[in-house]
Amino acid sequence: MSDTAYVQLLDLAAGVFLLAAVLMLWRRELASIIRLFAAQGAALAALVAILGVHQQHPELLGVAAGVLALRAGLLPYLMRRALAASGEARETQPLVNVAASLLTAATLTLLAYAVSRPLVALAPSPATQAIPVGITVVLIGLFVLATRRRALSQVVGLLLVDNGITAVAFLATAGVPLTVELGVSLDVLLAVLVLLVLTARMRIAFGATDLDELRELHD
Amino acid sequence: MNSTGAAGAVLQLVLVAGGAPLLAGLMRQVRARMEGRAGAGVTQPWRDLRKLLRKEPITPRGSGPAFRAAPTVLMATALVPAAVAPFVTTASPLDGAADLIAVVALLALGTVTLALAALDTGTAFGGMGASREMTVLALVEPTILLAVFALSVRVGSTNLAAIVTATLHDPLRVVSPASLLAAVALAVVTIAETGRLPVDNPSTHLELTMIHEAMVLEYSGPDLALIEWASAMRLTVLLGLLANLFAPWGIATGASLTALPLAVGVFAGKVALLGAGLAAAEVFMAKLRLFRVPELLAGSFLLALLAVATSFFLA
Amino acid sequence: MSAVEWGLAAIAGLAVVAVLAALAAPQRVRPTTVGSCTAALGGAGIAVGVLAAAGRRGAVWLPELLPLFGVRLEFDPLGGVFTAVAGAVAVAAALYSIGYTRHGLDSRTVQAALPLFVAAMLLLPAAASVATFLLLWEAMAAASLLLVLAEHRRRTAVAEAGGWYAVMTHAGMVTILLGLLLFAAHAGGETFAQLRAADLSPAMRSTVFLLTLVGFASKAGAVPLHVWLPKAHPEAPSHASALMSAAMVNLGVYGIVRVGFDLLGGGPAWWWLLVLGLGAASALYGILQAAVTTDLKRLLGYSTTENLGLVLLGVGAAGLFATAGNRALAGLALAAALLHVINHAAFKTLLFLAAGSVLHATGTRDLDGLGGLRARMPATTGLFAVGALAAAALPPGNGFVSEWLLLQALIHSLPATAVATAVTMPLAVAVIALTAGLAVATFVKALGVGFFAKPRTPAAESATECGPAMLAGMGLAAAACVGLALAPTLLVPALARAVQVAVPGTEAATTGRLTLELSGITGSMSPLLIAAALVVAAVGILAALRVFGARRARRAARLWDCGGGGLTARTEYTATSFGEPLQRVFDDVLRPEQDIDVTHVRESRYLVDTIHYRRRVPDRIEHRLYAPLLAAVRAWGEAGRRLANGSVHRYLGYGFYGVITLLVALAVTR
Repeated sequence: MSDTAYVQLLDLAAGVFLLAAVLMLWRRELASIIRLFAAQGAALAALVAILGVHQQHPELLGVAAGVLALRAGLLPYLMRRALAASGEARETQPLVNVAASLLTAATLTLLAYAVSRPLVALAPSPATQAIPVGITVVLIGLFVLATRRRALSQVVGLLLVDNGITAVAFLATAGVPLTVELGVSLDVLLAVLVLLVLTARMRIAFGATDLDELRELHD
Repeated sequence: MNSTGAAGAVLQLVLVAGGAPLLAGLMRQVRARMEGRAGAGVTQPWRDLRKLLRKEPITPRGSGPAFRAAPTVLMATALVPAAVAPFVTTASPLDGAADLIAVVALLALGTVTLALAALDTGTAFGGMGASREMTVLALVEPTILLAVFALSVRVGSTNLAAIVTATLHDPLRVVSPASLLAAVALAVVTIAETGRLPVDNPSTHLELTMIHEAMVLEYSGPDLALIEWASAMRLTVLLGLLANLFAPWGIATGASLTALPLAVGVFAGKVALLGAGLAAAEVFMAKLRLFRVPELLAGSFLLALLAVATSFFLA
Repeated sequence: MSAVEWGLAAIAGLAVVAVLAALAAPQRVRPTTVGSCTAALGGAGIAVGVLAAAGRRGAVWLPELLPLFGVRLEFDPLGGVFTAVAGAVAVAAALYSIGYTRHGLDSRTVQAALPLFVAAMLLLPAAASVATFLLLWEAMAAASLLLVLAEHRRRTAVAEAGGWYAVMTHAGMVTILLGLLLFAAHAGGETFAQLRAADLSPAMRSTVFLLTLVGFASKAGAVPLHVWLPKAHPEAPSHASALMSAAMVNLGVYGIVRVGFDLLGGGPAWWWLLVLGLGAASALYGILQAAVTTDLKRLLGYSTTENLGLVLLGVGAAGLFATAGNRALAGLALAAALLHVINHAAFKTLLFLAAGSVLHATGTRDLDGLGGLRARMPATTGLFAVGALAAAALPPGNGFVSEWLLLQALIHSLPATAVATAVTMPLAVAVIALTAGLAVATFVKALGVGFFAKPRTPAAESATECGPAMLAGMGLAAAACVGLALAPTLLVPALARAVQVAVPGTEAATTGRLTLELSGITGSMSPLLIAAALVVAAVGILAALRVFGARRARRAARLWDCGGGGLTARTEYTATSFGEPLQRVFDDVLRPEQDIDVTHVRESRYLVDTIHYRRRVPDRIEHRLYAPLLAAVRAWGEAGRRLANGSVHRYLGYGFYGVITLLVALAVTR
């Protein structure tokens, strides 16, 4: 594809990626958070596919297909099932209210740009210039992990971190070896399964998955 | 390997094997005379051996192959050093096969077989003798090896013939502090290894005071003969080493067969003198309590360490 | 592909086959299939090791196997010696395990861990890059941990032993990792070739050496990092104990020689004085603890500490001599140390396998409860006696040969110019001598109390001889001991090539076929001739007795029982009583805990009804060094609990704030 088309498509995919993360901070319904996550997965797959077509690496297209299947297909499906089983619909008042969360997201974006300047300076190219987006998503994922009450939201936070790391990996290098990608994917899948099982158990034990209830366990 | 060496080695074996009971008899006679008794005569041990060899062999019930094999192994571990060490000749054919460290280790092997035989009987006395003997053996090893070290520093080898030949060529080395200290340390080692006063009383009848005798309580007849003979041979070997490592004059070094008879006579004389001196000193000593023995052995270790230090620092 | 590369492929292939057999085979045939496959794996290891020690080269480079670094394997004679040793031990242990693991140890995990462990040990000496080395080291540790924990359901002590082992081996791994990473970072590359060519500052070299020394010394069981050894070796199943004691601990020595001599190219004298000091302390402390313990496998574990202490003493002496420029003596000392590694592997395998047979037959490891096994298990007793002779370092055993070589190396160091050498060599000789004496006492105790006389408990009375597979494993190890005892000269060329890798410019330490004649120094000893002389003398004595003695038949009679009659096994000396004089002499070092409980007769205080005597000799280093350390860690952990108030959000918040602070700091300082 031509260079301008490549740069534009790349920036578009990166933008959707970031936007999905920010919107997850805004929405309260768990079902829509999961839909946004699926959309982000699709954006990540598109990003990888664009990189593959531009760099003429056919295996990246295969990786893109795998990413799509896993992060936009399998993981949202599992989370929807867990959501249906739990019967909760909304995220209750998070520790940090929505407005403050969005302001924090803005600060994190600036921090990510400041930190990744040396990285970008190593090898300036349209791909590497999109690295700050990935780092921002990582930081937003950490923030979600730390400030949401529902267990399912925390799973989403963890997956955001992973998505961000994967995006940075693909943007900074020509991709990671297949074995590593497979390993990481398996890792993520297992983590999600374990967390969903734990969530179910928490619900059985306490009737809700509000993590602050777990405080009672402290002796 | 020359014929003088081979003949000398055979002579050594015969001399040590045949003369060991005589040495034991001499030592007992000296003690007896000094204690005011008439004594049984120098050849009494030979008469005892003859009597024992003619008796019926007996094996105690409950003992096993270790008990049966120990006398033979003990005797073998006394015979091989007798053939190797430079007593009558420095050119023994087995000289390159075993050096001072190996000779000392062979003597330790003999002690070990006796200790295992004692444990094999399953009696309390056997166990007690074995346990005490092993303690003394463990504590005497550092002294032995350090004395070997001291002897070999000035010669540059632990090979027995090399040490003796070096002393022959440089007689004044014997009066150096290193040599004297090493000699005293080796004398204590001899006493400890052969179970003489003050470490152990060879003629005691009280089982609770025994170390070596407790291990052989169950032996009788030909087995006891072999053990007593082997013990006397070990004493002869150790005294012979003490004599020839520090005062080797008279030993046959060359290829001439005529030097051998003189060497035999000189060796017999030296060992007899040392044995008589040891026996005389024993008259004035009492046995040490078992838990004072480590102090004695620590003292001998210090002497050996000083021997090494002076051989280096004053060399 | 060269022969060595085929061998490496064979090792990898056989390991995979063995693991698959462990996972797939039905339970009845699992021990046999896994045992035979592992024995074949060991055989491949021996073949590759011998080829490498003979000077054949071969290298394998697999870039895809590990991300970023790839796996790099390359054999040289030094690595070949250690691989051959590990292979030989594996063959004996694997054959033994066919019979031993039949009852209760044939689960998939335990069976699969065995070939993994063996394969990791075989390939580790061939590692030619930091990443490969660490990968194989970790694989070895993980597989051995699985084996140590094999019987955790049967005994509670196993879990504690496994815990100590896991923590200490991983702490060692961390220090090795730090050392090697520092080395690689300053060398600009992680292959051993790049490390060899690197130019580091003396301070950095010392740091790398000290860090790796801590880890390797801990693996080799050097005092004071040995605490895991007397806990883990008794609790592991006996074939695993044999593998750990006779093959795994050698790799600690391999690491020190490889890093200190080969990669760092030698160093200042104080490095080697430290190694020598560690070796001397391990040898003395190890054998002292072995002399007073009554648990047979704990005795053997402490004996491993002692023997590896002697090896480290030799390695330290070799380093000292090399630093002083005396290459011939350095070569002799290192050859003696390597020969002792080989000899120790042979007799320690035999001893542990025999101890396993005893445990299998009687159910107890306590020497105070054994006895009388020479009538019930004659083959095991005979094999144990061969091993005990070798371990006691008496001629004509194989332990004596390597100890003799080591003593020769030390003795010929004087007169020396350096004061350090002049002071340490006599002390080193004294340490070796005391160790040898105590080793004799220890193994007389183990053999005499454990196997001879009458059985002390019903368990020992009901012992039966073990099966053919176990006997075959022990027999192989015994054959190796005998071969090494009589013909050590066959190994001299291989040892010379291995020593060349570490100390270049040395020649063969000894010459001669029948006799070990030291080259350049007057000194010789022939174990074969000594053994032959002993045999001839014994035959001569028996013949003379036949001629001169009375020709009467042997009669059995009563033991001397002071006329009281009724000698039972109760009057036999036990292992506790055997070691009591030594324990009294070394009371200050051992500090035993004694309990005497006297119960008087009800009617009179002057008459005694029963006396209970209990003595325990704890590991004093564990008591004085580790217990306070663990208490401090626990106190620190309890203080840290205040940070944990139960809120999950707070914990996640800690992480989030930490990351943000770090990133801000990064952004500001860049």
